[in-house]
Amino acid sequence: MNPVFRKLQVSVTQQALVLNQALTLCRATPSIQHPVWASVNERQYKTMPTHGIGRWKHLLPKEVPKKKKDTTQKKQIIAATDTAYGTLNVKVSGYDMTLVEHYSQYIHNLCNRLGIKVAECYALPTKTTEVMLMQEQGTKMYVDATLKTHERVVQLSSLNASLCPVFMDVLLNNQPEGVQLSVKEHTEADFQARFKGRPELEGLIAQMNQ
Amino acid sequence: MAAPCRRMASRSLLQIVSSFSRTAVGNSGFRLFSNTSVCRAIVQTRFVPERASSPWTLKAAVCLQRLPVISADCAPIEQQFKEMMHQMELEKSVLSDHELRLLEDAERMSRKRADDYDSDEEDNHRDQDIMLAQDLEDIWEQRMKNFQPELRVKADVDKDLTSLQRCLADSLILLAEQQVGGEKLWLLPQAQWQEGETLQQTAERALASLPAAGFKATFLGNAPCGVYKYKLPKAARTESVVGTKVFFFKAILSDKGPPAATNASFMWLKRSELQRYLKPAYMMKVERFILGL
Repeated sequence: MNPVFRKLQVSVTQQALVLNQALTLCRATPSIQHPVWASVNERQYKTMPTHGIGRWKHLLPKEVPKKKKDTTQKKQIIAATDTAYGTLNVKVSGYDMTLVEHYSQYIHNLCNRLGIKVAECYALPTKTTEVMLMQEQGTKMYVDATLKTHERVVQLSSLNASLCPVFMDVLLNNQPEGVQLSVKEHTEADFQARFKGRPELEGLIAQMNQ
Repeated sequence: MAAPCRRMASRSLLQIVSSFSRTAVGNSGFRLFSNTSVCRAIVQTRFVPERASSPWTLKAAVCLQRLPVISADCAPIEQQFKEMMHQMELEKSVLSDHELRLLEDAERMSRKRADDYDSDEEDNHRDQDIMLAQDLEDIWEQRMKNFQPELRVKADVDKDLTSLQRCLADSLILLAEQQVGGEKLWLLPQAQWQEGETLQQTAERALASLPAAGFKATFLGNAPCGVYKYKLPKAARTESVVGTKVFFFKAILSDKGPPAATNASFMWLKRSELQRYLKPAYMMKVERFILGL
């Protein structure tokens, strides 16, 4: 392999000399440079001097492969300090889904603007309520309407005590009709309420403990 | 602002001087701890052995707000946009269950009326034959007609400044007529700060001490939202009292008390109307924290 290259180099430099004399203004060196083999683990057995001339991916920084999103990780519940509240749950609930969703989006955007860190933003399962009316003549009840209660939660990681009245005032003034707002501290029980119960597991644990 | 009572100021000074060693630092350095619920506060005052006496007397005022009850009317351009969006959504939408049922029923009726109708071919729609979708709609229309909604805006109630039902679409602020110095002025209800209590408790006391009391309020936070300080005119100044600082706290009306008798010592005003009743310097500081939404 090497003698081949040496011969090529010799011929190339001869050409270069010629070219150099001709083109004095041109700054580009006409001598062919072999592509730098930065990564030794790739095979470079091709004999063409232009082999690998279009390679550019080896110049990019190494990217860690993106991990697929896991199930909800348990986030640390921050305790309240002197000047800031801890993890707060702002729960928006109502019958009209568009209003509820838009209001929760509004709260999220407001927090982003005010610099309040939003830990999480999730939805609780919808609760369906059936309104049954008694029949006018008779004792049977019949279904009059079904109402669905939607709930959205915006979890804030910390809220400054001086910012709190301003934030609450803006939220209350912009509350749409038919939407209930509640701000509470986040507890372990709230976190566990999001998961479905597993009766078989609980039964087995009870059996084990007996 | 006019000069406050010198007697009141000197009395508070005496209190400060006598309990020299045990009192908390004045002005704004209060440490408050919050409980599980956001609104209530458990207070622990710091015991600082040395205390510089400040030349300012402290007061706390409460900005009590009644939130809007109904949504405000749309501006003409908002109305047009709303109608346009509604039409667009209607055109892009898919038929709902009820509408499908209507169509099916209409179709079935027309098939029944045709001469070559064989009822055995149909699936069993007995329930739906008894109560057609159209009948349901008629029942609903009837009920809608029987419902009489209230008027959104009542002009006569709007003009009564002491009524809580005025201007349901805006948020109202409570203004009380209080004696400051020698004159009676319209301002946000305030009270003098006393030793051993936090500024927020002073604000609660200010609210409770109104003659037309009975308002139940929820304080929005432990930190004040505004300050107004004024110096006494030179005649009333002593060495130790230069002026007063008033700290404002925000609160939301949660329950109105029993209907007050006709005493005109308090008013519920919109933000735009505040200018007529408050002094300009005071107004400048107050309007900074009242939201104009």
